[in-house]
Amino acid sequence: MPRATNGPATKARRKRTLKTTKGYFGNKSRLYRYAKDARDRAEHYAFRDRRKKKGEFRQLWIVRINAACRLNGVAYSRFMAGLKKAGIEMDRKQLSELAIADEAAFTALVGQAKAALEA
Amino acid sequence: MKTTLAKPDAPKQWYVVDAAGQTLGRLSVKIANILRGRHKPIYTPHIDAGDFVVVINADQVKLTGKKETDKQYMFYTGWMGNERYTSVAAMREKKPEFIIEHAVKGMMPRNKLGRAMMKKLKIYAGSEHPHEAQQPVTLEA
Repeated sequence: MPRATNGPATKARRKRTLKTTKGYFGNKSRLYRYAKDARDRAEHYAFRDRRKKKGEFRQLWIVRINAACRLNGVAYSRFMAGLKKAGIEMDRKQLSELAIADEAAFTALVGQAKAALEA
Repeated sequence: MKTTLAKPDAPKQWYVVDAAGQTLGRLSVKIANILRGRHKPIYTPHIDAGDFVVVINADQVKLTGKKETDKQYMFYTGWMGNERYTSVAAMREKKPEFIIEHAVKGMMPRNKLGRAMMKKLKIYAGSEHPHEAQQPVTLEA
């Protein structure tokens, strides 16, 4: 019986991988044998880090809100507690953007948070 | 809406801080945060959004406890068995600026950006500094 392989499909599959590993260092961009490992790894990191990205941005927003809060003489945790008490449901992303774009509005928010804490 | 990033070429503020009688670590945290831009709502980790800091009276910075005599700075000459130690008291005599520089450096990121941001720190032993032209704002303790 003659040996049957699927030449065109294999070739297409390998070509697809090599296309994704363009620009990689050394063998990883040239030889399928090494490119497939590099591709697997890259996809794994990309998948993981798309999820990590959400947390990392939240961290940045918190640092920024804290900086803006301290300019107004209150710590981040007290500010967030005050907002919750005052029933203001802005998320951290919008709070940090507000602190950058509109200082006066942010100061007003801090005032509301402080008032809610004292009440 | 995308998160706003700091512009690398935004104008930078200058601060001047008097180190006389201040505790080394407490002071260094404040300096490091300003150099990194962590005191601003626009703080961006990969961009230098920090300000300049001028430290005066660096020779009068205070250390608590017995650190004046017991804390040591280590240097290695490159020859086997030739590490050298200098106490804080000796360093204060020889090179008072080093005490604050060393403390702040330890609080900065250990990468190119961290090293670049360190260049915005100007330390002087006496009460004089040559940066009046930049109109530095006094940073209260």
